[in-house]
Amino acid sequence: MIIDSSKQVSRNHLFKRFPIPTNFGVTKESRVDRGKAWPVPAGATRTKSFEIYRYDPDSGRGPHVDTFELDLDDCGPMVLDALIWIKSKVDSTLTFRRSCREGVCGSCAMNMDGTNWLACTRFISEMESPARIYPLANMKIIKDLVPDQTHVFAQYAAIEPWLQSKTPTPERERRQSVEERSQIDGYYECILCFCCTSGCPSHWWNGNRFLGPAVLLQAWRWLTDSRDEAAEERLDKLEDPFRLYRCHTILNCTRTCPKGLNPGKAIAHIKKTMIERQS
Amino acid sequence: MASSSPSEPQRPLSPNIQLYRPQLTSVLSILNRLTGILLSIAAIALVIWLLAAAAGPQAYAIVQAALASWTGQVILFGCTFAFFLHFFGGIRHLVWDTVHGFELRTIYMSGWAVVAASIVMTAVAWIASVYIGR
Amino acid sequence: MERDDMRTPLARAIGLGSAKDGVHHWRMQRVSAIALVPLTVWFIAAIIAQTEAEYTAFVAWMRNPITDILMGLLLIALFYHAALGLQVVVEDYVHSGAKFAAVIAVRLACFTLGAAGILATLRIAAGS
Repeated sequence: MIIDSSKQVSRNHLFKRFPIPTNFGVTKESRVDRGKAWPVPAGATRTKSFEIYRYDPDSGRGPHVDTFELDLDDCGPMVLDALIWIKSKVDSTLTFRRSCREGVCGSCAMNMDGTNWLACTRFISEMESPARIYPLANMKIIKDLVPDQTHVFAQYAAIEPWLQSKTPTPERERRQSVEERSQIDGYYECILCFCCTSGCPSHWWNGNRFLGPAVLLQAWRWLTDSRDEAAEERLDKLEDPFRLYRCHTILNCTRTCPKGLNPGKAIAHIKKTMIERQS
Repeated sequence: MASSSPSEPQRPLSPNIQLYRPQLTSVLSILNRLTGILLSIAAIALVIWLLAAAAGPQAYAIVQAALASWTGQVILFGCTFAFFLHFFGGIRHLVWDTVHGFELRTIYMSGWAVVAASIVMTAVAWIASVYIGR
Repeated sequence: MERDDMRTPLARAIGLGSAKDGVHHWRMQRVSAIALVPLTVWFIAAIIAQTEAEYTAFVAWMRNPITDILMGLLLIALFYHAALGLQVVVEDYVHSGAKFAAVIAVRLACFTLGAAGILATLRIAAGS
């Protein structure tokens, strides 16, 4: 009932989805149909069902949900281990991004049991039965669990996420006090997994123009970095009814961040700065 | 969203609201919006009530009778609950605007506090109304 | 997004650029909300106290200058807050060209209702 940290899995079993049809309002090509039920592995004592979203652009078929039975005794503890097990033992066409397997690269971000998180830091034991593995919400899907992140990365590029200075480059380092450096704590650690942006309803409805929590958190990271000298231009570029002000403090972002960061708070800081510069 | 040639299929969009788990964060937020819209409609009723009072005792009596009917009372009760949800939800938003209360624990505690306060105040308002009406 | 949209992803993300405006709407939404906190508390308390009041008692209450002022302020703050809020709702969900017409319609409707309410209050106060 009370969530202390984003790694807490929701325990509510009544209200797992909004009470709307599975394919409510989706276009023809995005309809999710029932797929194949893969056989139970031979000799497995403890198994768990995994319902995984599949899409093969070369098949001519639309997205569908395949059901796999996982041998829990043959597999590591994390959902990423489960995906790798399925790929190596059952269906080698299962496609997903992965790299560090320790929750620092952001590659394996996906929607598990209705919430976005990293597959490598989500325990299989925390998943429901059957576990539902879907790609990040509201993303164009290239294949299976691999989303096309071109647009969100373009939005990131649009906020110019690099140090901008007008004074000539100093002889040695750009000086920053300990207190000034602490201002970017909680923001520089973002791994750009886009769990937050993918979970933001405002980004679902207005993602073409609303920058989303990940990009806005990075915008704040640069605004609050004392070495940056372009705060005026950054704020001008953000002050827009869509780019910034589609945020209605829904806070799905803070709830879902797998690194425990707080995009909602960063955005509130930006909005407060907007007011402060006016009076 | 890479530009695709006409021969390639359009990429499907992964499910969003059809899939994403409802959480206190999103549910209270949409309730704030839904209650706001409901209260905007109730505001129309408020203006009609004032216009009826301005028009004279007969018009006023018609509106009062409608409000006193079973349907009217149920709607009024719903509007009171919606009002308090929006009121306390709004205060929670105003606190957020000062950049306070963003830790997850505080978000959840303040969220449940809004729900509890709304239920309590709706009950208080209606009990007071019944008591005064006696 | 149309199929023949050949802009680069960055061009699509930048769109038409920043409107460099948006603080005013946000600020006025909060200002009207803060004004509405005491005004609605007064209103709820007042109409609960008015339960079962007859027409003449109600009109006498409305003729009180404090009531008039507070009712007028309530209507202004309420319909301004509603107009700002509903504009955001329309902008969120309506994406076709109808959006511009819908926003104008919502704003005009709120203004009309607010004006009607204030004029009704003044009519009751002036008395007949």
